[in-house]
Amino acid sequence: MVEQFTTAAEAVGAEVKRFPTLNEAVAAIRSRAGGRAVATSALPPPVRSALDGLDCVPAGALHTAEIGISFAQAGIARTGSLLLALSDPAGRSATALPPVHLVILDAATIVADLSALGGTLGALLSSPGSAYLSLITGPSRTADIERVLTIGVHGPKELHILIVEEN
Amino acid sequence: MAKDVIRQKINDAFLRRALKNFAAAYPVARARAFEGLDFEELRGRISTFKQEGLRNLPELVARFTTSAERAGAAVHLCTTPEEANRTIHGIITSRGADFLVKSKAMTSEEIELNHYLEERGVRCLETDLGEWIIQLAGERPSHMVMPAIHKNREDVAELFSRATGRECPPDIPQLVQVARETLRSGFLAGQVGLSGANVAMADSGAIGIVTNEGNGRLVTTLPRTHIALIGVEKIVPSLKEALDVINILPKNATGQKITSYVSFIKGPTGGDGRELHIVLLDNGRLRLAADPDFSEALKCVKCGACANVCPIYEIVGGHVFGHIYVGGIGLVLTPFFHGFDKAEEILKLCIGCKKCNEVCASRIDIEGLIVDLRDKIRKPAGQKFLFGTLMKNRKLFHATLRAAYLAQKPFQSEGGRIRHLPLILNRETANRSLPPIAERPFRDLALDKSESRVPSPESREKVLFYSGCLADFVYPEMCMDTVASLEALGYEVSFPQKQTCCGIPARYSGEMEVARDLARINTDVLLEPEADYVVTICPTCTMSLRHDFPKLLSADPLWREKAERLAAKTFNFSELAARKSGARGAGLGAGKGERISVTYHDACHLKRGCGVYEEPRRVLTELVGVEIREMADCDKCCGFGGSYSIKYPEISREVLRNKMENIAATGAKTVAVDCPGCKLQIEGGLEAAGTGIAVEHSATLLARRLAES
Repeated sequence: MVEQFTTAAEAVGAEVKRFPTLNEAVAAIRSRAGGRAVATSALPPPVRSALDGLDCVPAGALHTAEIGISFAQAGIARTGSLLLALSDPAGRSATALPPVHLVILDAATIVADLSALGGTLGALLSSPGSAYLSLITGPSRTADIERVLTIGVHGPKELHILIVEEN
Repeated sequence: MAKDVIRQKINDAFLRRALKNFAAAYPVARARAFEGLDFEELRGRISTFKQEGLRNLPELVARFTTSAERAGAAVHLCTTPEEANRTIHGIITSRGADFLVKSKAMTSEEIELNHYLEERGVRCLETDLGEWIIQLAGERPSHMVMPAIHKNREDVAELFSRATGRECPPDIPQLVQVARETLRSGFLAGQVGLSGANVAMADSGAIGIVTNEGNGRLVTTLPRTHIALIGVEKIVPSLKEALDVINILPKNATGQKITSYVSFIKGPTGGDGRELHIVLLDNGRLRLAADPDFSEALKCVKCGACANVCPIYEIVGGHVFGHIYVGGIGLVLTPFFHGFDKAEEILKLCIGCKKCNEVCASRIDIEGLIVDLRDKIRKPAGQKFLFGTLMKNRKLFHATLRAAYLAQKPFQSEGGRIRHLPLILNRETANRSLPPIAERPFRDLALDKSESRVPSPESREKVLFYSGCLADFVYPEMCMDTVASLEALGYEVSFPQKQTCCGIPARYSGEMEVARDLARINTDVLLEPEADYVVTICPTCTMSLRHDFPKLLSADPLWREKAERLAAKTFNFSELAARKSGARGAGLGAGKGERISVTYHDACHLKRGCGVYEEPRRVLTELVGVEIREMADCDKCCGFGGSYSIKYPEISREVLRNKMENIAATGAKTVAVDCPGCKLQIEGGLEAAGTGIAVEHSATLLARRLAES
């Protein structure tokens, strides 16, 4: 499934790297983001604390971030897509405004196809209160001028997926 | 449609190239996107739940409203475009805003929102790249998914240079970067964001938005107020149905497995005074959903595939082939959303090839709806006489055709073909020669023949031959070949003299009553003699007898039963012939020496109207004994479309040109067809171009082969 996910994600222009542990994935993020302005969406506590010390931009200046960092709820093998629950607008901006988007994906959460994700999506949408879920597949793209595929219109120009295969 | 506008689009070299390249690339990308998926099953499911939803649309609207409000959204159901515009304007002013940042929403085009708001001092910024381009150009989208497909990089560079005040070179990556930089401040400054939605879920009150560029996420994230303008037909019961729509949309729209972004939004997120307003647009939809004849049009998921495969769209683009919604479904929706006056001209532009039906994501009979809508528009002067008086009276109709034989004589050149018609008709037939009306139609030749026929000793299956008017009066020899072939294959063939026009020209011109009368006359004529089969050599007639007669006569149980009985025994020539291919053995097909090559053109009404495409190939390879060199787009329309080629000769000619290029590329010297109309069109074009390529009906090729052996 990880293989299939990787192939599909790379086919739509994402960069995929696989890590045996979460720590190694976080280390890779640190080395990539060190010294640059970053914005993050909601992260699991161990990831957040491991990323302590990065130059996080304040909420009012999200548009100045060079790198956005997020953590995926799930992946779809067939299309190389990521599911992100981003109900906080600031966290959402972190995945939409910066030119580079780094996402950590737990290999165990990869499912076969969109319909296999139905249960997860359904649970997230049926819980009380509001919700904003994004399926992200590759970087931002357009073919609106002469149908020529061009990467990076309004969203991230680069999408880096860090797959963690712990256990 | 104004002829000068059509001509202008035909002569727009960039538009033509762009649409032609897209028409070639789309089916390949689409097929790849659907790999491993059962398209028919998926669209069957979508068709079913969409139709089901339309039956209970008011209830679905109520359920969605309750759920969305429970999640914290404000829902506004607006009956008219004016009401929707007023509501949106009210929301914007209540937030003290004067600037609206937008992602793509066809509904906003539908109600002409930008115009309404800007007249009232609210600036609108389109952020979808294609939408921004046409906003700068002051135009409307020419495609539902690719709104600026008619603009080239030079056009865009000029528009961007003017908008930004700096020189933008015509380089696509650089132009995209200009859009990113320029529009970024708009997202950040936008006080209110407006989006559409591709689907809305009644159970959770969530909406789904499918995008590629990322502007949709910014528009629904950065401004503190989000307005979603959604047609009520987009509501489905639950996530399960929504996922089917999301699954099929990008594959059918652009050949992508999935878009870069799919967002599910439920209620306003982030608290802190943030608002989500859902404006549900009715604008005729609730009434249409309750219309027994046309409700299926609302099953549309707005993928645009009907335009992607349309041979007419490929020639003229969406500014001609549509109003605000373009493509086949645009023709259907326009009268309901924008009024019949806006739809009158465009409804005539469909050539009736049914290619759109084949790809429709929710299995809408788009072509059928277009034809049915023609009944509801004003008819041109003279049409009443032509159909109501002339065609309904068989003797008068046939006498007129006989008179035409004499009238055409002065225009025939050597070899008998017509190359120049007098006066205004001349321009219409340029680039195509026409066969003359025969001195003696087949119906007269059949009289001679039946007198001399010796009854066959063996018990043979009895076949009634329904020739169709074109073959009868223009190609009597094609009819003779049909009879000869079928008799040689072991059928007993007779020709009922009282048969008349199948009614399709009347139906396509919106004269349903005339079509109904002709259906009754022919049904009686063809059911009266005892016979096993009725055979036709014109696919349009086959389709008419098989599908249209039962539909036209469905109101009366007695007539419906008769029409269904006739339909069940009606076959196209190739179907009856192919049944004998096994029985006759391979000896017939093998022929002497090397097999000659032909290429085969599938008639629209045979392939998509009757589902017949395998049998003709079997007749050719096994009975005639030729090899088929398939051409590209073998089942794409030749541009004939009956009277279409007279009404829109310029368009017809361009569609024919594409067909001729594909024929020439095969190197075959003969094109086999199973339709006298396709023969007339393609032969005329190939002859006028001096190609030396012949066009023959399969019946003729088979008769020749049988005469040899």
